[in-house]
Amino acid sequence: MPDSGSAGAPLAIDATGVVKSFGRVIALAGVDLAVPAGTMTALLGPNGAGKTTLVRIVTTLTRADRGRVSVFSIDVAAAPAEVRRRIGLTGQFAGLDEGLTGRDNLVLIGRLAGLPRGQARDRAAELAARLGVADAADRVVRTYSGGMRRRLDLAASLMTRPPLLVLDEPTTGLDPASRQHLWDALAELRAAGTTMLLTTQYLEEADRFADLVHVLDHGVVVASGTPAQLKAKVGGQVVEVWLAEDGAGRVDAVAAARALAHRLALPPGEVHAEPGSARISVLADRAPAGPADRVPAGPADRVPAGPADRVPAGPADRVPAGPADRVPAGPAGGAAGGDISVLLDVAAALRAEHIAVADLGLRQPSLDEVFLALTEPGPGA
Amino acid sequence: MTGGLLVRDSALITGRYLRALRLTPGRLIYPLVQPLVLLVLFVSVFGNLAASRHAAAGAYRQFLIPGIMIQNAALTAPTTGLSLLRDAGSGLADRFRSLPMPRAAVLLGRLGSDTIIYAVQAVLLLGAALLLGFRIGPASEPQVAGLARAAGIVAAAVAFGLAISVLSTWLALLIGDAETAERVLYFPAIALAFVSSAFAPVGDLAGWMRPIARVNPVTAAADLIRALATGAAPAWPLLLLACWVVGLAAVPGDLAVRRWQSPS
Repeated sequence: MPDSGSAGAPLAIDATGVVKSFGRVIALAGVDLAVPAGTMTALLGPNGAGKTTLVRIVTTLTRADRGRVSVFSIDVAAAPAEVRRRIGLTGQFAGLDEGLTGRDNLVLIGRLAGLPRGQARDRAAELAARLGVADAADRVVRTYSGGMRRRLDLAASLMTRPPLLVLDEPTTGLDPASRQHLWDALAELRAAGTTMLLTTQYLEEADRFADLVHVLDHGVVVASGTPAQLKAKVGGQVVEVWLAEDGAGRVDAVAAARALAHRLALPPGEVHAEPGSARISVLADRAPAGPADRVPAGPADRVPAGPADRVPAGPADRVPAGPADRVPAGPAGGAAGGDISVLLDVAAALRAEHIAVADLGLRQPSLDEVFLALTEPGPGA
Repeated sequence: MTGGLLVRDSALITGRYLRALRLTPGRLIYPLVQPLVLLVLFVSVFGNLAASRHAAAGAYRQFLIPGIMIQNAALTAPTTGLSLLRDAGSGLADRFRSLPMPRAAVLLGRLGSDTIIYAVQAVLLLGAALLLGFRIGPASEPQVAGLARAAGIVAAAVAFGLAISVLSTWLALLIGDAETAERVLYFPAIALAFVSSAFAPVGDLAGWMRPIARVNPVTAAADLIRALATGAAPAWPLLLLACWVVGLAAVPGDLAVRRWQSPS
């Protein structure tokens, strides 16, 4: 079967112009998505951006109103049964029978997917061991912890060795150790050549693990590329300002941020301060000679995503609850050219606005900031 | 090929429910133990009440027990719809829908395990009824005939239960919310038994009830069991029950499968 993808790069998922509405709510407003075989692609986006809808269309659970989606060149609307033979789905809610044991669940899913009984049992035992639920395999799932459930759910998705694994927020709600466990398993799968599409709320997960990131907002893809490309696109540098208390012992970071944005003539979205915090981050200096407005998503342009070009992210257990709780990642590297003029501009603006400063620093943006810069802020942001 | 797959996958789903019952036997209390308690309570209270008014207490007991059997089947039926609704809410439905399996297998498989539940329920109730003085067939009949009648009684209860299970499934999927469905589904199951010949002959019911009671599937199933137990001609209740079973399987059954299948 010929591939619909471009020159010799087979696409695991090829979606064009996908539109989906639920009543008057437009979930997807014309999404294009290309997932090259063998890669891990992350879908990022605020809640309600359309990530889950897209995942459900790819996995044949929902039908698109318009547009075309194919999985390994098979049209999902025309031949859903064929697509189902090639996918594994780990949804937001564990797809398990709480009243059965872990092993029962795996064997049942394997047999429903067409494995003979003996093979289903062998595979269940193998996966239970690999995902660290072997000891609990004969316990009823109702007694499992959240992390064990997730791992069992992943095992269930893997029973038939699907070439495409779709994961909808696989680590949401897990404790740090469980997340690490799950990611170890996913890394193994990727090494074995499984294509993965995942949605996640944890941006540093996408940063660490994904080859390609697509940022979805209001039902459209607003940016695509490798994590490094996205960071480059937004601009090389972030200035971190730690405010000093005023004479009365107060700090109003929000007001200071507003004044700073005004003084620097930056859109308010690029100067962040959490209410109650003493820190402002200024996402500035959009590189004038930076990449084109849209980073192409095609596999041909994909920068190899080895660990070398990754910016070290925060600890894996950090919940990206906004800039306020982020530990500054140290001095900016050479990627931004070491240009400190942004820092000087911010310093000048701080002085002009008579804002008392305790500390001032320059660093590269995190994917969180890229995300915030690319997606439209909701009310109150 | 698809037919074979449907049978195999339905059997796998039936196995799933039976296995879950084995692992959590407490789930059997509602469909199997409570009916026995209700039988004893109803027969003790209403059987004696009737005895104080009429001489023929035994006759009323003979009339009442088939009604209680069918009432219990009606009260069990909502569990079918509710369990499928729970699956739908848990992510398991998405798992099944993303597998290369016929989607109707989930519903048919559940009905498979319900068949076993209804049959065991009917056998237990019939056994208890015999201890309470229920008689099957004329005394002069050979034992084989009595067994055949008993099998017919169980079959009638199972057929009725499955038909109402199908209806409950469609209604549950239509309602969509498990908590609401739980509150909505049990009430008609209770009311249905009262507006029927389950506890009193249709002629003794309030005037407005009679037209409903005459065509009520509870009446059909209870009267069929009575006919089988006493040796009367079962033709009319059998026909009425058959119409209900076929009608409910065809219309709400089809709608339920479609609703389960439809990619939202």
